[in-house]
Amino acid sequence: MRLLALFFLFLWLPPLGGSTPQLPPKGGSHGVFVESAAAAGLNFTHITGATGQYYVAEEMGAGVALFDYDNDGDLDVFLVQGGPLNDKSPADTPGYPTSRLFRNDLTRGPDGKPRLHFTDVTSQAGVALRAYGMGAAIGDYDNDGDLDLLVTSFGPETLFRNNGNGTFTDVTKEAGVSDPLWSTSATFFDYDRDGDLDLFVANYLDFTIAGNKKCTDTAGAPDYCGPRNYRPVPDRLYRNDGNGHFTDVTESSGISRADGAGLGVVAGDYNNDGWLDLYVANDATPNQLWINRKDGTFVDEGPLSGSALNAAGNPEGSMGIASGDFDADGDEDLFVTNIIGETFVLYKNDGAGNFEDSRVQTGLGPLTTTVTGFGTDWFDYDNDGWLDLFVANGAVNAIESQRGQPNPFKMKNQLFHNTGSGRFVDASSSGGPAFEQAEISRGAAFGDIDNDGDTDIVVTTNGGPVRLLMNQGTPGNHWIDVALQDSPRNRFGFGARIGIERTGKPTLWRRVHTDGSYLSASDVRAHAGLGSSTSIDGIVVQWVDGMRERWTKVDADRLVTLKRGTGVKQ
Amino acid sequence: MWRRNQGLLLTRQSLVLVLSLTASLSAARTSAQALKLSLEAYPAEIRADLARPYENVRAHPDDANAVGSLGRVLQAWEQWETAHQAYTRAISLAPTSFDWHYLDACVLERLARPQDAVAHLRSALKIRPDYIAARVRLADALLSAGQLEESRTLFTALAGEPQAEPLGRFGLGRILAAEGKHEEAVQAIQQALALFPEWGAAHYSLALSLRALGRRDEAQQALQRQVQYGTRWPGVPDPVLSSVSDLRNDSAARFRKARSLADQGDLNGAIAEFESVLADDKSSALAHSSLVKLYGRTGNWLKAEEHYRAAVALGSGLAELHYDYGVMLGLQQKWDEAQEAYRRAIAINPVYPEAHNNLGQILERNRQFEPALAEYRSAVLDRPTFRLARLNVGRMLIGLGRLDEAITELQKITQPRDAEAPRYLFALSTAYVRAGRKDEGVRWATDARQLALQYGDAALAAAIERDLALIR
Repeated sequence: MRLLALFFLFLWLPPLGGSTPQLPPKGGSHGVFVESAAAAGLNFTHITGATGQYYVAEEMGAGVALFDYDNDGDLDVFLVQGGPLNDKSPADTPGYPTSRLFRNDLTRGPDGKPRLHFTDVTSQAGVALRAYGMGAAIGDYDNDGDLDLLVTSFGPETLFRNNGNGTFTDVTKEAGVSDPLWSTSATFFDYDRDGDLDLFVANYLDFTIAGNKKCTDTAGAPDYCGPRNYRPVPDRLYRNDGNGHFTDVTESSGISRADGAGLGVVAGDYNNDGWLDLYVANDATPNQLWINRKDGTFVDEGPLSGSALNAAGNPEGSMGIASGDFDADGDEDLFVTNIIGETFVLYKNDGAGNFEDSRVQTGLGPLTTTVTGFGTDWFDYDNDGWLDLFVANGAVNAIESQRGQPNPFKMKNQLFHNTGSGRFVDASSSGGPAFEQAEISRGAAFGDIDNDGDTDIVVTTNGGPVRLLMNQGTPGNHWIDVALQDSPRNRFGFGARIGIERTGKPTLWRRVHTDGSYLSASDVRAHAGLGSSTSIDGIVVQWVDGMRERWTKVDADRLVTLKRGTGVKQ
Repeated sequence: MWRRNQGLLLTRQSLVLVLSLTASLSAARTSAQALKLSLEAYPAEIRADLARPYENVRAHPDDANAVGSLGRVLQAWEQWETAHQAYTRAISLAPTSFDWHYLDACVLERLARPQDAVAHLRSALKIRPDYIAARVRLADALLSAGQLEESRTLFTALAGEPQAEPLGRFGLGRILAAEGKHEEAVQAIQQALALFPEWGAAHYSLALSLRALGRRDEAQQALQRQVQYGTRWPGVPDPVLSSVSDLRNDSAARFRKARSLADQGDLNGAIAEFESVLADDKSSALAHSSLVKLYGRTGNWLKAEEHYRAAVALGSGLAELHYDYGVMLGLQQKWDEAQEAYRRAIAINPVYPEAHNNLGQILERNRQFEPALAEYRSAVLDRPTFRLARLNVGRMLIGLGRLDEAITELQKITQPRDAEAPRYLFALSTAYVRAGRKDEGVRWATDARQLALQYGDAALAAAIERDLALIR
């Protein structure tokens, strides 16, 4: 008996950091998320055009946008498509595959439960874009109350203006927002506080088909070249002139003063001065933290802020970005996905725009050693009031253990649960069978697709089918969705901060945004889980121009639309 | 009481031994079953290197040296997962072998598993406590895993050893920074830098601590040094790991060696390595392409030309090949041919700032100023941070009499005030003077002269002084 006791004594090894945090209960036997793309009619397969030449553009796409294009109250899906990669222009190639727009025909069944169905409306909407597409960005750039769409590509960008009647018009030329560089992620944001959305486009490498380089993996087999085999090309900042046209202010704004192989971008106020800054994730080059100097110019504080490099002073892979207040201390922290062996990094903000690499302290580092991550965002999947993380994973170089298999780049996606004490645990096993599937995932867009109060995810696969992860909800936890209305400028309140005030608990701060992640755009409505309490003391909105208003008597478990001027000025 | 406790202690120790042996044997059985290589899935060169050691393992599965040797080859080829499997088996067969514990730790570090690396480093150091490279790795791994106190103890000891003192002091600095003790961290890191000044990572850590102390200007200077020195790192002797690197002699390894030699300035050594690659494989366009640049740098135009023709014949689509050839032709003042080479580079990669800039310089030589200006502008558009190209834009505009435009362009390259800046400021001063804005011209010329002296460019400073005298 004594020996048996000793046996168990010596076998018990407490993990680093103390007792084991508890995972939330699983959402039924099928897990928290149920993959429902085919069942909902979201039929789309990405085409890389790969022919064995290992063109690096093949492995980078593509993205997805979740946005209510027809203003009927539910989220529609735009999926970016690739195609054959050669020296011919896709636009001039008959039969070239196109990106697709799926209209959400959400209804309620007799039982009151949401019934989800998507209809492909690409042609009638006028967005059958023939391009080797990369990503999508969403914003109401013309302030007419509907959301417009920018598609980036290996080639020029395309701006589609939403006509408000279910159709779009390609206004790229008249808007002046296109150049031939390889564009990736983009964001619409009001950097000069003049009430309209400006545009930042991240550009990647100087790769060309004609100049394709031959690279190998570590064993000498043909493989994709890494970013260091090419050179970064400059990003672009366009100022919205307010008349349907943008002016390229890349140079005058100072954005041209730093180079980087741009893959991810997000706008946020990182030094808490009320002005929107930019964070750019650059592949194998230092990330940039463009601090808004409030005079139309930016300065790159990336290296000095501690958010550009790892602890050894070296740049990392840096593809996807999640920007949000994970520790509820009122500032925006940054989570960046990297390549296998680097681990993903959480840069914790001290509130003044100085960041600390907290991947070890938060537990995220050890959980991400064996994966290469792309699309990601902060979201409260179980509505417990703490921001969790989802990461879409997929390799960019052949995985040793998959040698000899077709497409040896497959990895499992991950779900990380925020314990509320500054640490994260791997909750992927609670996620459901979809998290057991190893694929080459890339983009991820987040939003409440069936309007049932929890956040769902659309995940794209490089060379494979789209995945629709429907959140089954966490009973007992409450939530609030907030949509903003402003008029006549910045109609959706892009960039505004929303604070959900609760008695005896920290305020939950959320930013109105569609950017971040990788090549993708998420729901513009802000979501906050409230945990077991339905009590909301008030909602504070800090608009982009600095004005602050507060609303009270807000009930939980619903979407509230807050119109500027109807709250109490603070 | 003591005797009963001793009995209890012995029982506990025996139990630990039994348990650890059981675990090892279990792991060994598991890893023996898992240690299967599908050689046919590997390319020819690695397959050739793996064949004999793998056969040896299959013939002698319980021979630790055979298994460990296979691990070394796998590690040399950066096959981390299978190398780890091999070392795990070798360790189970020979648990008192330093090499297998240490090499497995190195592999686990590459797999970003610092906790597992720590375990093997501890085991290795029980066998050879004097192996400095292992002590450094253990201290680093503990720091990466957040185990600061134990890491501190190790770094403190390393700081007392001449070979490892810089690493020890830097490690202590990083620990202090992690604890928020930035004043002390700065001191420790500066001590490390005094011993090894060209240490990019140390300058970076220093910058972050200085920033935390509110000393932003000093932090910026430290960041500039980090950029300047990059990944340079003080090494410690590591013969065990070095012996693994030496196992490879395939073309990729020779390529890496050649590039390393070229980076260190040993051009003839690099040439010899690339030529040895071609001796085995004449179809390596990359080797031909590399030799164009290297022979060009040594002034051996004939050989450079020969390798250029060979690369082109092989269908090499590398823009850099044509660019390097253009540079070589320029050095021989064969301007027309150089122009064609740059145009070929641009045709392959239109976003090639250096090619545009160099093409612009040839066009300028030919007095084709507007086309030259267009090329310089393309270079700047492709890379706005390319200050030399922007200087050329400014010079062209001055030459064309478009002085206001020249001033606008040259204003953009006055920062940072680094060693390149004096001539940019001088060019700006010229533009101002020619535009009739003499006072501003004098001011910029004075700044340029002072900066030139600060950076030790006496010749430029003297030239500026002569011009200033004329202006005044």
